[in-house]
This record gives sequence, C-alpha cells and structure tokens, in this order.
Amino acid sequence: MSTIAHIAENATENSFVVLNIGHHRVALPATLVAELAPPVRLHTFPHTTPMLAGAIVRRGRIIPVIDTEPVLGGKSPLSHRFYLIAHRRIGQDTELGAITVNGECELASGEMQPPAMDRPAYVAGTLAVGDESLDVLNLDAFSAANSQEVRL
Amino acid sequence: MTPTMTKPSANKAKSSTAPGEKPRRGRHPETVVLFYVANQMFAIAADSVQEIRSTDGLAGAANEIENPELPKVRHTIDRSGRTYYVVNAGQHFGLPVTRPALVLILRQFRAAVLVDRIDRMAEISGVHPLPLAFTGEERRWYRGLAYLDDSVIPVVEPTGFLAPQEFQKLDRAHKLAREREAAPAVQA
Repeated sequence: MSTIAHIAENATENSFVVLNIGHHRVALPATLVAELAPPVRLHTFPHTTPMLAGAIVRRGRIIPVIDTEPVLGGKSPLSHRFYLIAHRRIGQDTELGAITVNGECELASGEMQPPAMDRPAYVAGTLAVGDESLDVLNLDAFSAANSQEVRL
Repeated sequence: MTPTMTKPSANKAKSSTAPGEKPRRGRHPETVVLFYVANQMFAIAADSVQEIRSTDGLAGAANEIENPELPKVRHTIDRSGRTYYVVNAGQHFGLPVTRPALVLILRQFRAAVLVDRIDRMAEISGVHPLPLAFTGEERRWYRGLAYLDDSVIPVVEPTGFLAPQEFQKLDRAHKLAREREAAPAVQA
C-alpha cells in the first residue's frame, strides 16, 4: 500500500501504474492514483446510474466504485479484490472513484501515444511497456454520460 | 398493531462516524428511522415521519386509485381531512416485489410509503452528500448517505417519492374517481 502512495507522490506526467483489471492488463496515469485500498466491504443500494457497483468507505470518505466488468470483463476473485482509488473528473468537479483490481501493480514510465480512432472512450491512449502495448484508461469515461459509448 | 415512534434513549441510539472521520461543517447529527424494503435498509429523518401504521390497520381506510402511469401508487388514505398517496417503496426504488407490512405517513407532505419493516430509530452523525458519480434517479431519491454501524445507508429524500408533476397526475385521477363515485348519487 505504501508503495502506491509513494508512486503517487512522486509521479510525473510520464509515470503510469500498470495493473490487471478483469482479463486486461492496463495502465493508469500515476498522477491520478490516490491509493490502493485493501478488500473492504462494498456497500450497495438502489440506484440507476450505469457502471457503478456501489461504494466503499475509506479514510472517512464514501467512494463510489466503478463497475468495469461490462467493458473489461472478468471478475477478480473476491480474495484478490483490492480497490485502486483514483481522482476522476465529473463535469467541472473532481472526486475520488475506485476500481477493483487484483492487487498486483507496477510502475512504468513512457510516453503515452494517442489511441487509434476505433478505440473506445475509456481508452485515453496507449503505452509501450516492454513488448506490450497497453491501453491507458480514462476513468472519466466510466460515467453515465459516456456509458453507451463505453459499452461499444 | 400500531407501532408508535419514540425517541431513542441516549444509550440505545447508536451514533456513528466513518472511521477516522472528523466532524465536518454542514453535517449535523440527526435522528432517523431505519426501515427495510426487500432486505435493503434505508433511513429517513424521524421528523419527516408523522405516523407509522400497519397495513392491516389501514385496510379499511384505504381507497384504490387507478393510474397506469404511476404503478407505484395504487391507494390513497385519508388522514385528518387530507388525502395521502400511498407509494410502494419497493417499486419506487426498483426493488423486488415484497409484501409491505407498514405504512410511513409523511409529515408536511401528502404521501405515505409502504415498507416491509422498521428496524429502529438511530442517531446519525450527519448525511454525506451523494458522490457526484451517481447521476441517475437516486439524486432525487436520496438526501445523501449515512454511515452507521459499518454500513452505508441511503437517507431518503421525502419529497423524492412523488414529484410535483406526479402529484398533479394523481390529483387529477383522484378527482375523476371521486366524481365517478358521486355521479350515481346525483342521478338517484
């Protein structure tokens, strides 16, 4: 956990956190990452917002949990379900949001390249890590306004 | 059965703040009624509830109302010369069908709410704003969220059960129903 906090504190524009979500290995700009939280309880209640699974409580804050499963597939086994908490822009404001990850993550540096034209809205760009080309996630796209586009 | 509302005693009412949370400006402790609908717990400000009655006790006092556009309202009840529209909370929140046993009659608002059961009254340390990520109907349904006994509980907005335009529709349907009822008497 402290490693992630350290990463976020020292992140530069070209720093990325590489992580596994569902069956995908993806990257997230390290400057957006706030914390990797342990598998705390997911609280659910009725709502009609697409792509939200519920909320967790972390450090006194109620943090919405983004449901990435419809687009990124696969559910992490519960025992491996950590929450990566990151800053999101919603309209003119920013707030924290969480996504479920399996807990394994690493720091990578590189220059993000623009996404191909046919990439969905949740892909902000691509990042070359070794032989791999990873999608860099745009968490802001996982919102109600973009839900149709994201699902495509 | 007529459940009555009593203020919780100081040692029974549990007040809870999220772990590590400092008191924040704009949040005030308040007493809420905790109730269940389809195994989901909700909270409502105690001072927005006028009465809690069993559905059995109100069976004779309820009148049916036909409004296909608003299936969540199928009955009215008359209390103190006012007509209250009875909202099925399960249908309102899109929850599975249940058999509600209690009616919360709201204060200063012509609505009553069918719920499964009351859990208890409790004091919450405050209402957290609903995160901006929630953009659907829940923004109208809830005042925010409460953190109580390690659970996040939606705090319902009483005015969210029926929008003004829904009231207008129901008032029209209710008026028509009353006119239909009165018509045979006039002819006779």
